[in-house]
Amino acid sequence: MTRFVIVLTVALVTFAAPLRAQSADALLAQGIRAYQQQEYPGGAWLLRRALSLQGSAALSPAETARALMYLAATELSRDQRDSAIAAAQRLQALDSRYRPDERIFGPPVVALFQDAQRSAPARSGGAGAPVATATPRGNTIAIRPVGGEDRAFRPGTGAFLLRITAPAPAEVSATLTGPDGRAIRTLFAGLVRDSIDLRWNGLDIAGNVPAPGRYLVTVSPVGRDRRAGWSLRLPLEVTRTAVDTLTLPPPPADSLYRAERGTYGRAWRSLVPGVLAGAAIVVLPGIIANGEEASSARLIIGGTVTVAGLAAFLSQRPGRTISVNSAHNRNLQERWRRDVADITRRNAERLRQSQLVIRAGAPTYSPSEAP
Amino acid sequence: MIRYALAAAVVAAAPLAAQSPLRMSFWGAASQEIVQSRIGGVRERLSGTMLSGEGVLGGERIVLRLRYGQGTLKGEGAIEPRELVEGEVLLGYRAASWLTLWAGPNARAYTAGGADQRWLFWSGRATLRGTLLPGRMQSFVELWKSAGGSVTRPDGAASGRGAEAGLEMRLSGQTLWGRLAYRVEQGLGDGDLRDVVETLAFSIAYVPPR
Repeated sequence: MTRFVIVLTVALVTFAAPLRAQSADALLAQGIRAYQQQEYPGGAWLLRRALSLQGSAALSPAETARALMYLAATELSRDQRDSAIAAAQRLQALDSRYRPDERIFGPPVVALFQDAQRSAPARSGGAGAPVATATPRGNTIAIRPVGGEDRAFRPGTGAFLLRITAPAPAEVSATLTGPDGRAIRTLFAGLVRDSIDLRWNGLDIAGNVPAPGRYLVTVSPVGRDRRAGWSLRLPLEVTRTAVDTLTLPPPPADSLYRAERGTYGRAWRSLVPGVLAGAAIVVLPGIIANGEEASSARLIIGGTVTVAGLAAFLSQRPGRTISVNSAHNRNLQERWRRDVADITRRNAERLRQSQLVIRAGAPTYSPSEAP
Repeated sequence: MIRYALAAAVVAAAPLAAQSPLRMSFWGAASQEIVQSRIGGVRERLSGTMLSGEGVLGGERIVLRLRYGQGTLKGEGAIEPRELVEGEVLLGYRAASWLTLWAGPNARAYTAGGADQRWLFWSGRATLRGTLLPGRMQSFVELWKSAGGSVTRPDGAASGRGAEAGLEMRLSGQTLWGRLAYRVEQGLGDGDLRDVVETLAFSIAYVPPR
């Protein structure tokens, strides 16, 4: 009995695996046949089915390369160039030395591979742009930067390009979040058919240049695909080229502010100079020119100065609001605020003229991300 | 002629002051002068109106002050009228916000009947200022004493001292100031020569914005 069970298990393992593999192989073979018969939509579907099989049913690396080669050719033939390039780049990522067989594929397909190679970022080892894919219901959705991982441009005028590819229509949103996790911009929300290029002009929703730091583009399903619960994340390292900005003026020193309410000390300090100067006018002739009769008109001036001192004393008596000083302090603050606003505006203008350097990191796929 | 030159200097310097870190002010004054002269027991009292101009130019510490004025004095009875011309050139050091020290010459000349009498003093001064209302009103007292001097008719050495006190206040905006001042000076020469001058002055100043 035990011997029978062992034999049955071995038989199942031995025969079942080739049966499953044969189904992937069969799909590949049917896809190739459809390409040769110019049945491109069906061929693309068959090849994608073959490529989407996982585990023991998956194609071998050589067969995967072959399937991607035919998929690229099929997509090109049905004018889905972005999908064709995406397939070609996946193939190059799989085997950087792979070249299309010119006896089988025509010059347009060979040229497509050359284009795919050119548009791939310069990475060590020559691999393609970093791509993360999600495969909800067999639909391989991918995100990658376009035109290389590094890009420098002037905010507001240039743009950082991202491409989302989805062989089957998918409803997704792409959101850019800042280092603090807050949303900076929604780059896209809608239906992706085949592929779509997203542009980020380097500004936040308010039109400001964001601070350097680590940002994140998150692609996740929306609408009827919302329950799929996956996300693709592309980290972006944002830096800025050096720019000379003006230093903001420091707030006015405390010593420049005047007391807005009178105190005894201030009131006396206002009274004393007035009274002393008034008294000096009265007594100085006797000291300077002793023996001469001084003009009595000086008493009017001396009295005026003394009265002015008294008036100053009363205007600054304790608790009384000194409106002149309040106005002075307000002017001081307003002038400083104007200067700060002016320099801030000029610095923002200079920052806008500087270049934003964005380096895309390795994208990741998270199957558990709730939208 | 000198009056016109002063006015021209003010007009020309104002735009410069507005652009430079220098502090400048230009004063024009109308004053009542009372002169009591005594020589050999003879006393004369004259009074009259004088117009004068003053310019103050300086940085944070060093200050230059120029003053020039002229007018006509008339005496009572048979006393012959005199033409009076005054001037000073002082270099100052602003030791503190309330204290400025000055040094330089000041001169006064009387002309009567084709003859003139000139007083020249080399003096040291101190001006003390006190704030009554910040940025709006201040009082001042200035004291001076001569270190040396001379006088003509009769020729000889002279000494002098004086004081000025008053009130300065902002009249309008940041640029227009007014000053009410009383000044008294005494010059002493050889042979019982004594000259006492009192001035009651009202001045208006233009202070270019910085």
